[in-house]
Amino acid sequence: PEEDEDLSDSEDSVYSGLEDSGSDSEEDEEDGFFNVPGDVFHAVLNHYSGFCWVFLPTRLPRFFSKDMLMCPFLVLQDIRNTVGNIPMEWYRDFPHIGYDLDGKKIYKPIRNKDELDDFLDKMENPDYWRTVHDNQTGSVIVLSDEQVELVNRLQRGQFGDINFNEYQPSVEYFSSDVMIHPVTNRPEDKRSFIPSLVEKEKVSKLVHAIKMGWIKPRRVEDNSRGTFYDLWASEDSSILSKHRMHLPAPKIPLPGHNESYNPPPEYLFTDEERALWEQQDPSDRKLPYVPMKFSSLRQVPAFPRFIHERFERCLDLYLCPRQRKMRVNVNPEDLIPKLPKPKDLQPFPTVQSLVYRGHSSLIRSISVSPSGQWLASGSDDGTVRIWEVCSSRCMKTIQVGGAVKTVTWNPNPAVCLLAVALNSVVLILSPALADRQVVSSSERLLLGDQEAEAAEDTGAVWSEAEGEELNQGIRLKVHHPKAVHQVVWHAKGDYLASVMPDNSSHLQVLIHQLSRRRSQNPFRRNKGLVQCVSFHPVRPYFFVATQRSVRIYNLVKQEMTKKLQANSKWISSMAFYPVCGSVSLTVLIVLITCHLICRHHKKAVRGVAYHRVYPLFASASDDGSVIVCHGTVYNDLLQNPLIVPVKVLRGHVMTHDLGVLDVTFHPTQPWVFSSGADNTIRLFT
Amino acid sequence: MSQLQARFFTENKRYVVDDVPFSIPAASEVEELSSVINQLLLAKDASHSKVDFDFLVRGQFLRTPLSFHMETEGISTEDVVEIEYMERVTAPEPEECMMHDDWISSVDADAEWILTGSYDKTARIWSVEGKPVMTVAGHTDVVKDVAWVKREGLTSLLLTASLDQTILMWEWNSERNKVKARHCCRGHTGSVDTIATDPTGSKFCSGSWDKMLKIWSAVPSDEADEVEGPPDRPRKKQKTQQLGLTRTPIMTLSGHNEAVSSVLWCDTEEICSASWDHTIRVWDVETGGMKTTLTGNKVFNSISYSPLCRRLASGSTDRHIRLWDPRTKDGSLVLLSLSSHTGWVTAVKWAPAHEHQLVSASLDNLVKLWDTRSCKAPLYDVAAHEDKVFCVDWTESALLLSGGADNKLYTYRYSACQTDAGA
Repeated sequence: PEEDEDLSDSEDSVYSGLEDSGSDSEEDEEDGFFNVPGDVFHAVLNHYSGFCWVFLPTRLPRFFSKDMLMCPFLVLQDIRNTVGNIPMEWYRDFPHIGYDLDGKKIYKPIRNKDELDDFLDKMENPDYWRTVHDNQTGSVIVLSDEQVELVNRLQRGQFGDINFNEYQPSVEYFSSDVMIHPVTNRPEDKRSFIPSLVEKEKVSKLVHAIKMGWIKPRRVEDNSRGTFYDLWASEDSSILSKHRMHLPAPKIPLPGHNESYNPPPEYLFTDEERALWEQQDPSDRKLPYVPMKFSSLRQVPAFPRFIHERFERCLDLYLCPRQRKMRVNVNPEDLIPKLPKPKDLQPFPTVQSLVYRGHSSLIRSISVSPSGQWLASGSDDGTVRIWEVCSSRCMKTIQVGGAVKTVTWNPNPAVCLLAVALNSVVLILSPALADRQVVSSSERLLLGDQEAEAAEDTGAVWSEAEGEELNQGIRLKVHHPKAVHQVVWHAKGDYLASVMPDNSSHLQVLIHQLSRRRSQNPFRRNKGLVQCVSFHPVRPYFFVATQRSVRIYNLVKQEMTKKLQANSKWISSMAFYPVCGSVSLTVLIVLITCHLICRHHKKAVRGVAYHRVYPLFASASDDGSVIVCHGTVYNDLLQNPLIVPVKVLRGHVMTHDLGVLDVTFHPTQPWVFSSGADNTIRLFT
Repeated sequence: MSQLQARFFTENKRYVVDDVPFSIPAASEVEELSSVINQLLLAKDASHSKVDFDFLVRGQFLRTPLSFHMETEGISTEDVVEIEYMERVTAPEPEECMMHDDWISSVDADAEWILTGSYDKTARIWSVEGKPVMTVAGHTDVVKDVAWVKREGLTSLLLTASLDQTILMWEWNSERNKVKARHCCRGHTGSVDTIATDPTGSKFCSGSWDKMLKIWSAVPSDEADEVEGPPDRPRKKQKTQQLGLTRTPIMTLSGHNEAVSSVLWCDTEEICSASWDHTIRVWDVETGGMKTTLTGNKVFNSISYSPLCRRLASGSTDRHIRLWDPRTKDGSLVLLSLSSHTGWVTAVKWAPAHEHQLVSASLDNLVKLWDTRSCKAPLYDVAAHEDKVFCVDWTESALLLSGGADNKLYTYRYSACQTDAGA
């Protein structure tokens, strides 16, 4: 307890300054005691850093100094280290651990305890838990019970002194209760009575600024006229304006001076203006009313046009466009489908290679043999010529005695026959230009079994050629009652159809069977002037083109399958796309051909031709040019066929306003032949 | 004007100049270079007379100013340019004009005699001097091709192919001037457009419009081959009328999809054929199989093979002459394309003794003499014909022949290859 008192004293002295140093010195006489608190504080320091240490090293040496001089043994005892609060491992490599108050080295105590000793100590020493190692001196201190208690109290955050009561009652000087006496009795200062000069100066500065207009006094809002709202002001930012295409309703123009009951005199109408206004049509008037002047508002009569004007306004709102029309701004060129370049669509005929000269009049019809070796041409000079394709050599000239309308080669490669239409006769020629077997088979076909004259009266008479004509190769003659314009072969080569255009008769088309020398008229009724006929290359269909339509007949069922209207003026020629299967597709192509040709050719189209292998077709026109087109037909009918005009072939000379009269393709090569009114046939490759 | 360093060299010993670089103007053309060489030669040898030279820079004939040529060919002008020079090929000089009665479809010439086939259904034999020697008549239709087979002393074997689907083999004795039909080769079912005899003269090959190639024996015999097929009356009748003994083909090669337009023997075992189906096919004679197919994109009218440079030249309907390597496998590329004609190229023929020269005939009435080292322009245009030219041929005796639709067969004397061939 005594020591505790001293301890608290020493702490008190710390708190209250140097006045207590005297009491300290009194207690210093007991050596062992004074040593302790420093060590305790040192131990405490480990937990409350910065709190106690601030004063210990600075104060203690000072107030110990004179005592130490007085008591020599105390000096021996006190081995206080003076190095300060430094990490002690700095002295780890030295034999000493610091310096005492005299500046002498404090040597480390000789350590002879190893880990095992330490452990044994821990196990056996009952005071081990209160043993503290002082880093500063290197000594071992065993804490007393009081010191342990003090440490515990400090650790709990309690006051070090047990006897100190921190909750003793206090007197409150300043409280909510009003006292009858002042807290202080001091009289007030004089300055609290006199006005402040500084404030006066500031106020005068503000007054001056307001007078000079540098500071504007706050404006008083005048609400005497009431508040007004702009109905339209926020309209554009309303929900409607979020629509991109929104168009705000038209606004009524604000009234002007001329609508006033008391307008300035210049707005009032003069007599002339009034007369003019009355003369004008109501829709032409600049103003829908006459500005009027009234002496007072009370004189203003009721507005006569009020209902009318409201109605018009409603109409305006009702009829005005509320949505901005999006005008599609498209370059018209973009709407055209991308056509492949003609260069990529090769091969197609590009240049004139050969000219077949020899005819002396215009050549109406040409035909290439199925093998592609021979070219037959029929001309107005009364001859049929057969040319060698590769050398333009005329191999045969056959006098037929009349302007040849059509010449067609039999499409069957097993026979070699030509059908020639002239005047009212269809001639069957055997040019004998093929293999001997082919020639003999065609002769056999011509011999046929001569059936008795058909009961049907078609007017066609079959006869065999004789004499000179036989030598020329003419084998059979079919005399028609009327002029024959066209003759076509069936793909098998046995049937051929001839056309005798006549508006007034049903006898316009005849179908002949070569092997039986029989003719028949397939149609009972006249359905218009027949322009041309054609057999389907594969299927049993028969096409009859009148001036504006194409009829398709099924030859097996003997009925009409379809009728197609062409939107061209005049169908002059038909051709077939060779590979397509269905009839509709075929005719589709025919019509497209007609259509396209109408657009590209400047004059009437004389002939069209399809290539048998390549996706090419050509059209010949009276303007002397042949247009070669590349046509791609897709298998699904939904996709439009792609037709690209690839080349305009010119070469024929215009004669008697006629250009190219017939056009045909080579059966195997991408070559096109054209015959013209200039007596030549030209080959373009 | 800038200067170029050039070194001149030649393979002709007569015109060798010193092997030192010369500085020449960059813009100099053939004439200037030629005069440079002539002066150099004159300085060496006073007796030198002026010679026209042609110049090769990196294997291409110089046809433009030197700097421009090097720019287009991508040759550096910094280095010394190696320029080869040679005596210029002189223009072919027209020599004879042999009139026929009709268009001339084919010509085959050797050192002594010229054989022509004509559209008047005859073949004619002419001497190289232009004298008509013999008219070989027997075909019933246009003669499309003719060929010499072999000559033994005064007796010659010759072949004529015709549109009447037969090939006739004739024996002609030049001394007695008698011609005798030995064999009538039957088998084609279309016009026979082309024939070619093999290098040994024992076989020949024919190509026809019926898409077939047939190989026949070219050795005359006294026995007629049996004709298979249905014996019909008209044919038997004709058979009695026909000339010579019937002969049937040894082998038939089929594979073309269109008419065969030209056929030739590359060597004794290999046939090359061109067709309208846009292909050139190489066939093995032993096995009868196809070896290679060269595919073009236009109809081939004519092919020619040069054993010197081992190149195949083809003339097609698109106005170009193309050079091929027949030994490459399928899908081979065109080595070179010579284009200057404006019409179908109807015939091409390699020079027999020059590995770079060939001659071509076209429907544009021109015969052109080409050097493969100058593919942009021909060496010479021969504009003698007034109509389509159908056939050309060379002889080793420096004679060039061409015939066409103006019924004329022209012969030209060209500067024979001795200067070049010897070099």
